[in-house]
Amino acid sequence: MSPEPTTLLQGTLDLLILKSLATGELHGLGISRRIEQITGGTFVVKPGSLFPALHRTEEEGWTSSFWGGSENNRRAKYYRLTKAGKKQLEAESKRWGRISWAIAQALEAS
Amino acid sequence: MPVLAKARSFLRNLFLTERVEQDLELEVRSHLQLLIDENLRAGMSGQEAERSARMELGGAEQVKQQVRERRLGESLHSWITDFRFGARQLYKNPSFTLTVVLTLALSVGANTAIFSMVNALLLKSLPYAHPERMGTIYARYSRATGSVGSEPTALDGEKWELLRDNVPTLICAVSSGTSGVNLKAGSRVQYVRNSRVSAHYLDVLALQPFLGRNFSEQEDRPHGPKTAILSFGLWHNVFGADPAILGQAILLKGEPHIVVGVLPEGAITPSNADVFTPLQPSREGEGQGMNFDPITRLRDGASWQQADAQINRAWSIRSQRFEKENQGVHVAYYSVALQKGQTESLRPQVLALMLAAGFILLIACANLAGLTLVRMLRRTSEVATRLALGASNWQIQRQFWIENLLLALIGGAAGTGVGFLGLRGLLLLLPEDFLPVASVPLDARVMIFTLTVSVLTSVLFGMLPALVARRVDLRSSMAGRAVTHAGGLRLRQSLLAGEVAVTVVLLAGSGLLIRSLIHLETLPPGFNPNGVMVAKASLDDAGYHDPSAFHKLLNESIAAMRQIPGVVNAAVGLSLPYENIVNDGVILSDGKEAGRQDITDLVYATPGYFETLQMPLLSGRFFTDADGPDSQRVAVVNQAFARKFYGGANPVGRYLNKDTVIVGEVADVQISSNIERPAPLLSEQIMYVPAAQVDSHFLVIVHTWYQPDWIVRTAGPIEGLAGEMQAALAKADPNLPASGFYAMQDLQARTLATQRIYVALLGAMAALALLLSAVGIFALVANMVAQRTREIGIRMALGSTVGQVMVQIGRSGVSASLLGVVLGLALSAGALRVMTSVIYGVGVYDVTTLVAVVLTLAAVILLATIIPALRIASIDPARTLREE
Repeated sequence: MSPEPTTLLQGTLDLLILKSLATGELHGLGISRRIEQITGGTFVVKPGSLFPALHRTEEEGWTSSFWGGSENNRRAKYYRLTKAGKKQLEAESKRWGRISWAIAQALEAS
Repeated sequence: MPVLAKARSFLRNLFLTERVEQDLELEVRSHLQLLIDENLRAGMSGQEAERSARMELGGAEQVKQQVRERRLGESLHSWITDFRFGARQLYKNPSFTLTVVLTLALSVGANTAIFSMVNALLLKSLPYAHPERMGTIYARYSRATGSVGSEPTALDGEKWELLRDNVPTLICAVSSGTSGVNLKAGSRVQYVRNSRVSAHYLDVLALQPFLGRNFSEQEDRPHGPKTAILSFGLWHNVFGADPAILGQAILLKGEPHIVVGVLPEGAITPSNADVFTPLQPSREGEGQGMNFDPITRLRDGASWQQADAQINRAWSIRSQRFEKENQGVHVAYYSVALQKGQTESLRPQVLALMLAAGFILLIACANLAGLTLVRMLRRTSEVATRLALGASNWQIQRQFWIENLLLALIGGAAGTGVGFLGLRGLLLLLPEDFLPVASVPLDARVMIFTLTVSVLTSVLFGMLPALVARRVDLRSSMAGRAVTHAGGLRLRQSLLAGEVAVTVVLLAGSGLLIRSLIHLETLPPGFNPNGVMVAKASLDDAGYHDPSAFHKLLNESIAAMRQIPGVVNAAVGLSLPYENIVNDGVILSDGKEAGRQDITDLVYATPGYFETLQMPLLSGRFFTDADGPDSQRVAVVNQAFARKFYGGANPVGRYLNKDTVIVGEVADVQISSNIERPAPLLSEQIMYVPAAQVDSHFLVIVHTWYQPDWIVRTAGPIEGLAGEMQAALAKADPNLPASGFYAMQDLQARTLATQRIYVALLGAMAALALLLSAVGIFALVANMVAQRTREIGIRMALGSTVGQVMVQIGRSGVSASLLGVVLGLALSAGALRVMTSVIYGVGVYDVTTLVAVVLTLAAVILLATIIPALRIASIDPARTLREE
């Protein structure tokens, strides 16, 4: 079963990154694996999309980064949500809820 | 705060590029390592784990590039990279960069200097409140066939009264020039500048005194109380900033004047005077002539149309009288903004200089376009490589424009420096009080102008190469090496022809000015200026209103001056050759034209005046001591007078002004004319009268405007005479300071100062144009030699001599330049006609000038062609052919 090569909607990747960090700090690979996990393998984020998006969230002030030690004692760059990031996650989740509900309604209508 | 975070990242990306990059590099590498670790844990072999990890990463460089492209401030960052690359390119081509920057520095500098004059004279607001509501009055004369000209109008007493009493929309005031007067403060007598102004003059300027008040209308009435307003500087320096000065009397012009006010510090007045006194204008005395200069301020709520209508209505009696005397001429008056009025006389010259500076800029642009074009063609292969590597046309264009912009900015900065120095030099050249403004600053407007000019220049000279670059064809450029670009050559030749043509015009223009100056300087003086020293002093003094006091002063001071060792002769006169001379009406009293009224220059002179100046006597006699106040009134006239009024016949024995008999005729001298036509120097009719026969009335008026000259002729050197003359003057009146000492030759130089400045300025511009053109020709030929080295080698191998090849190569520069010369001559024919009014003694189509211009250019063209072509001699055919 190959993962869905779904092109993510604009802004969706940001939302997924923020969501993956909601439970705690992660490094890039951790975020990528976490997204895979929480979307049930629907989205596999390649580094080529992940890193630009990740850096953007940091530039926006939603995440902050720091260098830390990984499980195998490798140095890795970790990201965590900032206060602004938490707010953004909340707002985006609500928005996304509205959109998906609306889309679902639209599709159910005959 | 997200905004703060954003700003921080933006700045970090911009300025800590290296750290950001390093961080990214580490992060990507650690990501790869984590992926490998993960694969290893999944049970892959080491090699397999790494291969799979690299596949998932998808190329470290690509990932990094994707991050970079989405980074905050990325577009700015890429601009900066391009700028850095551009700067490196310029640094690596120092000769190109230096040529361009020097060219720009000189041309932009010339423009900056001239524009700051334009700015100060024509653009900058006058330093008064609401300068747009200030004006002066012009008269426009017209016939049924159309306008015959307009000029600023001066008023006599009657016109002033009509204006003052009948134009309620304006605050009006008049002044009557600025003159040097003597101020006695304590035991010291000082020479200060006095401006005589009517009441409300300071109201028109919107100046409120720092102490006291403005003149009242009472004080401005004829024979009103004598009062004075001091400038802040005079109050400070001479009266020790004494706050009790108000109400005190100061001894000015030999009479006590009550101080009623002190102007605020830094207050600027058009006359720049030290002390103001009420003009007290009337219809008598100077009020009989057009001697008052008006300035006006529009009252709140009024319009200039209303004001002009009221002025014309107020002066309708005078206009009717004028139109009766001058049949068919209609006169109308109108207000002109004060600034325009004040700078009117300088405007054409300043604008002409600005035009010349613009020409310089065009020449510079043509040169630079040629240079950048060559550089562009040399970089064809670089462009092709970049195109092949996937650079977009826009990216390549942008790179070139950025390099041009960099050059423009560096050149502009250098140009500002050159302009600043040039302006300083120019202001040093100008005589004092030459400009009707206090200062010529390099202000924001000048800076913006300079920046605009620099950038515009870069656009102009960058446009051609950029257009050529657009046509770069990938295949041919990659295949061939440096290709000779026929189109490029043609283009450069036309640019060269254009700049040579403009140079011809500038050279011809400055040539005409030089010829005109030579003409003025070599006019026969009509006297012997060598060994004559002049002292001036103001007799605008109550003590000298009485002719007998005046005569006593003259006799005693002249006697004392004759005692100075080495002095051969001494005399006093108003005025001297080269000076501006007062004119007055004259009536012919005999012959066919008896009763004819006309105007003549008028000079009073003591016996010895003509002898001291060594003016040739043509017939009759000079003045003697016998020509006293009670004897027969006599006059001496010059040749021009005899020519104008007696058809050149001997004037001796003829009568003027009823009772004055002409006793002698002298040769013409050159004076600064104001009757015939405005010219710096020419000879026109002069009537000389004995100083002893001048009446009190005339003395008072003429001494408020002009200062008499004490002249001595010495057999020895004139150095050191000034002190002795001052001492001699002090023997006659210890309270009479001389206002200045001049060698007679310096008077001529002073009169011609303006002409000299124009010659210096336009000459400098023409020289600059010539230099730039020479550089242009040189660059074209040098480049041809460099490009065609191989061809030259073949030609020489086939038997051409060095000379033949030099002619072959040099031809491109010479033919373009000669075309330019012809074009320039044709252009001059039209353009130089505007110079008619500023050249004297030489026609606009002056063969000598044109021949000199053509010869100069021919010499420069030859030199600029031969020097680079000499390199041909050093070309070794065998080696060039082997190199291929």
